Amino acid sequence: MSLLELKNVSKIYGELKALDNVNIHVDQGEWVAIMGPSGSGKSTMMNIIGCMDKPTKGEVLLDGVDISKESSKRLTDIRRDKIGLIFQQFHMVNYLTAVENVMVSQYYHSMPDEKEALEALGRVGLRERARHLPSQLSGGEQQRVCVARALINHPELILADEPTGNLDEANENIVLDLFAQLHKEGTTLIVVTHDPEVAEAAQRTIVLEHGKVAREVINENFGK
Amino acid sequence: MTQRRMFLRMITASLLRRRSRMLIALLSIGIGATILAGLVTIYVDVPRQMGAQFRSYGANMLLLPKDGETLNSESLTEALKTIPEDALVGAAPYRYVRLDMTTRQQSFTAAGTDFAQITKTSPYFSVEGAYPSETRQVLVGKEIADTIGAKLGSTMELTYQPASHANDKTPEESRLPGASLSGSAEGFGGGVVYVSAVLDEEAKISSLSVDASTQTPEYGGRIPEDEAFLGQFIGKSLPLTLGDGVDALTGATVTSNAVVDALNQATETAVSVQPKTLNFTVTGILTTGGEEESYVFLSLRDMETMTGADQLDVAELSVSAGVDQLEAYADTITENSGSIQARLVKRVARSEASVLEKLTALVFLVTLVVLLLTMICVSTTMMAVVSERRREIGLRKALGASDGSIRAEFLGEGLFLGLLGGVMGAVLGFVFAQVVSVNVFGSSITFQPLLLPAAIIVSMAIAAASCLLPIKRAVAIDPAIVLKGE
Repeated sequence: MSLLELKNVSKIYGELKALDNVNIHVDQGEWVAIMGPSGSGKSTMMNIIGCMDKPTKGEVLLDGVDISKESSKRLTDIRRDKIGLIFQQFHMVNYLTAVENVMVSQYYHSMPDEKEALEALGRVGLRERARHLPSQLSGGEQQRVCVARALINHPELILADEPTGNLDEANENIVLDLFAQLHKEGTTLIVVTHDPEVAEAAQRTIVLEHGKVAREVINENFGK
Repeated sequence: MTQRRMFLRMITASLLRRRSRMLIALLSIGIGATILAGLVTIYVDVPRQMGAQFRSYGANMLLLPKDGETLNSESLTEALKTIPEDALVGAAPYRYVRLDMTTRQQSFTAAGTDFAQITKTSPYFSVEGAYPSETRQVLVGKEIADTIGAKLGSTMELTYQPASHANDKTPEESRLPGASLSGSAEGFGGGVVYVSAVLDEEAKISSLSVDASTQTPEYGGRIPEDEAFLGQFIGKSLPLTLGDGVDALTGATVTSNAVVDALNQATETAVSVQPKTLNFTVTGILTTGGEEESYVFLSLRDMETMTGADQLDVAELSVSAGVDQLEAYADTITENSGSIQARLVKRVARSEASVLEKLTALVFLVTLVVLLLTMICVSTTMMAVVSERRREIGLRKALGASDGSIRAEFLGEGLFLGLLGGVMGAVLGFVFAQVVSVNVFGSSITFQPLLLPAAIIVSMAIAAASCLLPIKRAVAIDPAIVLKGE
């Protein structure tokens, strides 16, 4: 069953076709990597999937709902309810502690629950660092907090934008292990990256070039 | 944890953990609130402060006798009860008469007054030496002092001539006004009839009594009780002739005649109230730049000794009140008192009102400007805060924050700053007002309890209003900025 389906999606900025008639689909529980060089349309696709932008043409079905025509207010609701976001720059609220940062996500979603937030931090191995401010955490730790924040509301889809771009190899592996765990639990993962190693961790890689899907690669070594 | 607690936790964390920026916003609100609270305190207090200041310009109300009535210390005291004690700065009574300085062939206007009150109603009086503190002491106007060469400590002999006001009159005429007469004449059967009478200022009989105990009771003896007979004499000038204006009492012609004779004879020797001469010591020389410099001032007590009357011409009042309140006091006094009418010294009262009006308008204007400046300052700071936190706002939106949540968070921070700034403003504003009041007006002010809630509400309102534009900016931030790896 497909969770996400892009049908003939184009995004046009004046003369520039950032996305040109793209068709992809992602099944429920699937782990997909999106690769491509700069300017290939990765970010545009990420914005559209993340309900932060609308395509100029085409349909985007998320969990059976066409989100290409929704108002930005509805898009905010959909993003909050269905999507967990992870960013390259981590993006934590710098005056809130780790656990408070996780709780911010709960706050906008439903109800802040400190116990649950601490459990989520425990899951990413940062139970002891819960009361630290972002400035007191390493990059890897910050990204793990962001993973905890992304999964706290049990989203249907976790959308990660270059999640390991600012991490060393050790921390990259920790994050990828966390993704593998989430995948096992049935969470759908879309990881945008330019790092082949990160892409290889996924089940399938979609390669974008010049706003078009150049090819799709099934990772035969997945899970081995 | 509830939504609200998380909301407060985020706001307080934002304010407490991002101290420097928030301190600037807090300072701008706090300083604005301080100046506003201070100005409002002064604004409220200005009429009172200035009222006290204005009192140094002299009396703003006069009490005068109504037509045909007299003003004296008793009726004055009664009239003053109308004005509350704390509003009445001073009430100086005045009795004006001409006094002669026979040794120098001069005469001056002398004012009997209460020196303790003068210092309150006419604080601008400049006295070289001191105000008289005892009887037989005088304060001499500069002009007179120069004329007669009076020095501090020198003595002056002053004489009160009851009739000296009456110019161009024969000695006879000037002798009689106000005189008390007593005389006698032989009546029926050799018995003596005594009369005593008082003449008014125009030398006309104002009262008359007769002792006719030596006369036949049924005839002449009835005269002292016969009001119709005695009444004929009232208002008549002496000498009189029986049958010309006054008629004899039927059956008592001889006694009637004796009354007229006795009166006529009495005028021959009558002396009006005796000229009264007292010696005074000069304790002070008065400079005012006005007509007071040609007056001699002495105590009411001495004045009464000399004139033999407790009588006042005017009382000058210095009342700390606005024009409307003054008018109300004056109306009440005029209405309630049978003998006194009150009038405002319009020149003083009106100019006070006009100065007050201008001053309050000025303070109001400054308040408005400060309000505006505070808003601009807070707004600018919040604007800087928003651009500084663009990424964070984008993140919050990406995490699912609605526009409403973003508005609520920034407004919440603004209101919290307003609350802190308001408390700061109320406290520091009072100190500010106190300093201004002490330095400018020379008196302290009392804390208005209403100031605290008012300052808090106003600064929260200012903070909220100042946040409107920055919030609009914040809401417009695109959540996608967090994705672009900026």
